[in-house]
Amino acid sequence: MAAVFQFPFAPVVGQTTRRRQQIRSSADRQALFSRIAPVYDDLNDVLSLGQHRIWKRMAVNWSGAKEGNNVLDLCCGSGDLAFLLSQKVGLNGEVTGLDFSREQLIVASKRQQLRAKPCYRNLKWVEGDAINLPYPDCYFDAITMGYGLRNVIDKYKAMKEVYRVLKPGSKASILDFNKSTDGFMTSIQGWMIDNIVVPVAAGYGLTEEYRYLKSSIQEFLTGEELEHLALESGFSSARHYEVGGGLMGNLVATR
Amino acid sequence: MVRASIVVEISRTLSEILVCPLSKQPLRVCEKSNSLISDAIGVSFPIIDGIPCLVPKDGKIIETPTDDDSLDTKQCA
Repeated sequence: MAAVFQFPFAPVVGQTTRRRQQIRSSADRQALFSRIAPVYDDLNDVLSLGQHRIWKRMAVNWSGAKEGNNVLDLCCGSGDLAFLLSQKVGLNGEVTGLDFSREQLIVASKRQQLRAKPCYRNLKWVEGDAINLPYPDCYFDAITMGYGLRNVIDKYKAMKEVYRVLKPGSKASILDFNKSTDGFMTSIQGWMIDNIVVPVAAGYGLTEEYRYLKSSIQEFLTGEELEHLALESGFSSARHYEVGGGLMGNLVATR
Repeated sequence: MVRASIVVEISRTLSEILVCPLSKQPLRVCEKSNSLISDAIGVSFPIIDGIPCLVPKDGKIIETPTDDDSLDTKQCA
């Protein structure tokens, strides 16, 4: 826990003079993720006590990805899910990590070079927009999305695109915070963000970026609403699973 | 020169997989500008450090050549 209080990164430039701002538009969110890129991985580990690694493994398992598959990790960020998929599909498969933040992709690419596992040769990065995917119809055997859908302004359009590029019968596995219908769980989640997440992020100079998390979850969809969204987008079936004691949720939608 | 040919190789592989994010039509490689061209909508998308940028708002509209320009029939950005 001592590591939590070592702040190896200088505060992000301009943070101290920036007034509280709304993170409303796609451009705002893109800028946010670009600002947190250098410390994103560290903060994920610290804030979830390493649990995010388990949830991400579950998300990959739920996607149904297997050896030789051609798969997409959408809103890949620094590539956690993409690296897991890379190991799953092996050298005969192909993995694309797509994100709208070049800074996150640069971190992902550097991690790929540093780790230098042979299977990571199957991994490519693309800077792109989740609501306008640069892939033909029925192209992927599986799609994952980790902590991405909540940050997409037009979620319906994104789900339609995910549906379009998936092969029939294939799955999308979408992991994110769970917007609970249980008032107690919502209170716990809010308390943790206010009293743990934001203060820790403040040590990295990212108070406002992580304060965004709370309103972002409030504006997100519940598990049931996500299931409906998937069905409205054309998926033949959709099921939302709560994980992490109900703090997180994983939508599994089948084309 | 070896590095340049590796860049072209990566670009060609990408153009075989990726399509225009707006028209969903195939892309072609422009080696001169190291970009992916969507002839369907007349836009070029850059490849920077091996990572293609296919965000629609970052595409560059390709200027149509005038009659005086002595250019190839396949216009690059």
